[in-house]
Amino acid sequence: MSESAEPIIQFDHATFGFPGVVALQDISLSIGMGEFVGVIGPNGSGKTTLCRAVLGLMAPLTGHLRIFDCACGELRCHHRAQIGYLPQKGVVDRNFPVTVLETVMMGRYGTLGLFKRTTKKDQAIALDALAHVGMDAHRDTALGHLSGGQQQRVFIARALAQQPKVLLLDEPTTGLDITTQHNVIELVAHLHKELGLTVLLITHDINMIRSHVDRLVLLKTRLFAAGPPAEVLKPEILRQVYGKELVITEKDLVIVEDYHHHH
Amino acid sequence: MLDLFTYDFMQRSLLAAAMVGGLCSVIGVFVVLRGLAFVGAGTAHAAFAGVALGYLMGWPPLLLAIIFGLATVWITGWVEEKGRMKLDVSIGILYTTTMALAILFIGLMKTYNAEVYGYLFGSVLSVTNEELRTIGGLSVLVLGLILLFSKELYFIAFDQEMAEASGVPARTIFFLLLTLVALTVVISLKTVGAILVFAMILIPASTAYQLTHSLRTLTLYSIIIGISTSVTGVLISAVWDVPSGPAIVLLATSIFFLAILFAPKRERRLAPAA
Repeated sequence: MSESAEPIIQFDHATFGFPGVVALQDISLSIGMGEFVGVIGPNGSGKTTLCRAVLGLMAPLTGHLRIFDCACGELRCHHRAQIGYLPQKGVVDRNFPVTVLETVMMGRYGTLGLFKRTTKKDQAIALDALAHVGMDAHRDTALGHLSGGQQQRVFIARALAQQPKVLLLDEPTTGLDITTQHNVIELVAHLHKELGLTVLLITHDINMIRSHVDRLVLLKTRLFAAGPPAEVLKPEILRQVYGKELVITEKDLVIVEDYHHHH
Repeated sequence: MLDLFTYDFMQRSLLAAAMVGGLCSVIGVFVVLRGLAFVGAGTAHAAFAGVALGYLMGWPPLLLAIIFGLATVWITGWVEEKGRMKLDVSIGILYTTTMALAILFIGLMKTYNAEVYGYLFGSVLSVTNEELRTIGGLSVLVLGLILLFSKELYFIAFDQEMAEASGVPARTIFFLLLTLVALTVVISLKTVGAILVFAMILIPASTAYQLTHSLRTLTLYSIIIGISTSVTGVLISAVWDVPSGPAIVLLATSIFFLAILFAPKRERRLAPAA
């Protein structure tokens, strides 16, 4: 799929930031219905700002952003509910008293709106979402008792329970071991195909996602490149963004050293 | 001991204790989960300053307590939202400022006023019919709002950012929660006093926290612990002639430590799900 698909998110020369700080500058990008887009860039490149913008939590300072054919500043709660969001993994308090099913049911709350109680139908949707991520056997387990990878699956199920059009994932593999990282990405790719979801996946791990995405978007405050992985992952383009952190092996694998590990 | 139940004052105080115990233990669930423990303490002292000003000026003390309490929680919430300061710092400043105001107002009174100290230390045994009606009315209001917005309140207690991103009006619900905390504190002021109301909010929910991994069960346990310790505390207070506030709080604290020592969570933690 390419930009020719019906656009669902459209940035038009949009600049985001806070007074005195520009986080993203002059972004023009259109994301089509059903696309799987990977957003990459070094730390501090504005990836999380992009995420907040797509959620309608941050309006552009200049330029325009349209989500579901609705200006970003006008994005209301019921629009937000159509975006299933997986935030950067926080540490879940092991003792926080919430079960897996209770966590996934929360995904129904925004969709239902105020004053409405959850019904059997909502529970069926939540259980279906759990089945999609292969966690239905754990419905009554305490969330804090699961492993990191299992918790990510539950949070993905919570996003799915919103029955969203878009799945937005902010660094979904951070803090997971390498096998689990692959499993989570495989799951996202599977959900993209099976449910026809538009997926926007933000990561610093290029190798992990390059074979799964339709398009890669390369950010470092500005948008450096957007296109199929083979077009974006060229040494001359990557070097502009990553500089010395870039290592290219003989097999043409791109390895960008993770800044986290240096500090 | 059964004679006690025939006295009007005893029936009133048991009813007041049950209502306040129930109310505090419900709001306490959200306070404990959302990490607003210190806000409860700050609000109690602010509300007390309102009471003191009320007696000084001859204005309705409960009304001023509500105004002071609401002002404190709203300023705290606003400061947290703006990210200017950490929540505990801003509430620490407001806490001490309002306490200074309370001491100032009491100092300005020409005569010693025992009623003001009633609000500081609580006097459930002297609750009047009129006060009982006020407690009842406000309790129904607070519990009704909690029931109406329970799913949103649970969600922001778990993760406010996630709640907002998934289409819950999280900021509005957060300010609603702060408002309910302030109202609860004011309702409980006469019964348990400004110093101990904080314990009534924290202890039942924290005890329940040790016992379960489900939000709904946590709330149920918290209510059971809150009401039973309050009522039992009042009975202890009447039978052994000790102050009611400390009787309730010390009883609740004992159960809290028992729960910590024998909580099933401790065992389960050793064998987490694979």
